[in-house]
Amino acid sequence: MKKTNVDVIIIGAGPAGLAAAAKIFKSGIKSIRILERESVPGGIPRHSQHLGYGVRDLHRIMSGPRYAKYHAQIVSDLGIPINCSTSAFDWAGDLTLAITSPTGLEEIRAKKIILATGARERSRNSRLIPGSRPNGIFTTGSLQQCVYLNNQEIGKRAVIIGAEHVSFSAVMTLSHAGVKPLAIVTPEPRHQSYGFIRFGSRLYYGNKLFTDTTLVEILGDKRVTGVKLRRSGRDFILECDTIVFTADWMPENELARRGNILIDATTKSPIIGRDYETSRKGVHAIGNLILPIKAADQCVLESRKFQFTNW
Amino acid sequence: MNFKDPIDTYDFAIVGAGVVGTAIARELAHYDLNLLLMDSNDDVGEATSKANTAILHTGFDMPPRTLEARLVRRGYELLYRYASESNIAVEETGALLVAWNETELAELPKIQEKAAENSYLRTKIITSTKLYDLEPNLGPGALAALTVPDEFIIDPWSVSIAFATQAKRAGTKIELGCEVTKINRNSDGYELFAHGKIFKSHYIINAGGLNADTIDSMVGLSDLKITPRRGELIVFDKLARKLLSHIILPVPTKMGKGVLISPTIFGNVMLGPTAEDLNDKKNRSTTENGIKTLMDKGKKICPILLEEEVTATYAGLRAASNQSDYAIKFNSDKKFITVGGIRSTGLTSSMAIAEYVCELILESGYALGERIELPKIRMPNLGEMKLRPYKSAEDIANNPDYGKIICHCEKTTLGEIRDALQSELPPRSTNGLARRTRAGLGRCQGFYCHSEIKQIFDAESSQRK
Repeated sequence: MKKTNVDVIIIGAGPAGLAAAAKIFKSGIKSIRILERESVPGGIPRHSQHLGYGVRDLHRIMSGPRYAKYHAQIVSDLGIPINCSTSAFDWAGDLTLAITSPTGLEEIRAKKIILATGARERSRNSRLIPGSRPNGIFTTGSLQQCVYLNNQEIGKRAVIIGAEHVSFSAVMTLSHAGVKPLAIVTPEPRHQSYGFIRFGSRLYYGNKLFTDTTLVEILGDKRVTGVKLRRSGRDFILECDTIVFTADWMPENELARRGNILIDATTKSPIIGRDYETSRKGVHAIGNLILPIKAADQCVLESRKFQFTNW
Repeated sequence: MNFKDPIDTYDFAIVGAGVVGTAIARELAHYDLNLLLMDSNDDVGEATSKANTAILHTGFDMPPRTLEARLVRRGYELLYRYASESNIAVEETGALLVAWNETELAELPKIQEKAAENSYLRTKIITSTKLYDLEPNLGPGALAALTVPDEFIIDPWSVSIAFATQAKRAGTKIELGCEVTKINRNSDGYELFAHGKIFKSHYIINAGGLNADTIDSMVGLSDLKITPRRGELIVFDKLARKLLSHIILPVPTKMGKGVLISPTIFGNVMLGPTAEDLNDKKNRSTTENGIKTLMDKGKKICPILLEEEVTATYAGLRAASNQSDYAIKFNSDKKFITVGGIRSTGLTSSMAIAEYVCELILESGYALGERIELPKIRMPNLGEMKLRPYKSAEDIANNPDYGKIICHCEKTTLGEIRDALQSELPPRSTNGLARRTRAGLGRCQGFYCHSEIKQIFDAESSQRK
């Protein structure tokens, strides 16, 4: 098997990983490899085509794919290799990772490893939502890939579960795909996004916001036909053919857990100390792997401050 | 309707392509016969056979001297051997049947006796100290356990697919998405009306699972009554797999076998099933109550398990019947064989059921002719403990697509997805693809790969057309 040594491995070429790579490179550490399991770099913004990216770090507004490309370009221009379609699937030593890719297996040893594996939205299953298992159930992540990357057919009438920033991103995506976002459902007493976003959402898309409401059952055989909701102990049904589960973030912590890194019991994120270092010496964790969830540009700003105090 | 008869008369029409129907087709395919295997679903093993506990049962706890006990025992041997020949994953975990109170403790020797009556002699009663040595993550309060070292876990999906593929290679005609709605009988034999077509056959074998009683009634048989028994299951994240190494069984009660916790062949941990009789043969919904019941039970058996993420929840329907044993009956007047009420043990017993059906056919005086061995089949490995393509330098060197992971949670590669889509029995949906490759079944449930898998599936499927 091929064995390689580098100074720094970064796992994940999303905004956090890319910005950290650039920062470390500029601090003088030149031997860096970024591993990305998807076939293109950029992370989650790649499939979020609506505007809203780059405000905090670039002071302008751009779409997700442009934003992703921008940060990947900076890294490429510096000459830092990004290995795409490359998965770090396990540890092969304290600071050694086992990776697989179309070019074969490899073990890479580094002086430091940075985990920037991000977070995903919990599925209907991990939220323990009862009911049938028809087609038409999405997370914002899977929805946006279907709509923006592959232009796939979604449905006609959607119910959105969750009322955070990302939920309204789902609303915009649905609308772009010609799906009517009927209602936004949250168990909280109010939505958790900006007032103007909720206001705009209602104005443009006409959706209803159900607060203090929980989803208790998914209905439909082959295709979703509705959702059963519960509010103040009373159950009622909303007819729809699409359900989007939004927010309820779960850090992508498999590699961290496989490395026996200590995990916060609530967020399930690695516990970090100085320089974002985890309980495993020399292994750091950045970006949305460390919850609570942050916007892409916030991840970038954070990574720009990244440094190894003890190099 | 425009019913036409483009097809010759089959010797046997097997209605139902679950694990039992496909096993029967495979067994009969050893003889020079015209065989038809049909199912209303668009895939083999699509109904009861896809959602079960995936345990290879020794039959230690079967009611002794029943046909079920005999066929489970024989089926265990046959399927164990078949799986190893066919590269279908089996993990030799063993089971521990745990007593949590005095009443249950008193049951253990009785269960051990029953196992002996079922010719299974390798059980042992172990103390709680020994039990906690074996399974330190069990909840407190276990008093003792009965060991059943030969209860194993198996890949449940590849079995039906392997059976059906071998039958197909031997010439069996497989008609999927083909629901039998009416059966006529005349002097030439049977006419099965399905999906706008008429299929003719001399004999019918009813392996209709949940619908076995409906198929029976189409030829005027009314003994069998099937009641769907819903079992809800919860599958925990792969990171939970290291918490347990055995199948943890409860002491059965009059109400049923109870809720177990088991490692799965795909590297997860499963909790379930519930048992609830329903009227609706299509209701595979999970329920608030079912999930809560399971979580409460799980909390007692292995509290730390509940701290892990849930990957999937689902419900299966087993074909419980009004009869206390398997309802396998050759009606020689009617040239009709009912294979019904196979309940939850069908995966283990499937090959023995097929063997038994052939015996019944031979006993009736029907000459099956010479039995010719089928060429062996090699299935793609879905088992987590065996070498999978993404970890195989050799596979990747032969085809770089085996190094391109599409489903990151299950580590399914593009190469495996392509293989499945180009196989002799290709999936007709992404669910079917998932049962052949695990793609999309992992912890993210498609957050990352749903769209890409659909894209690959659509592209390959349209190419095929």
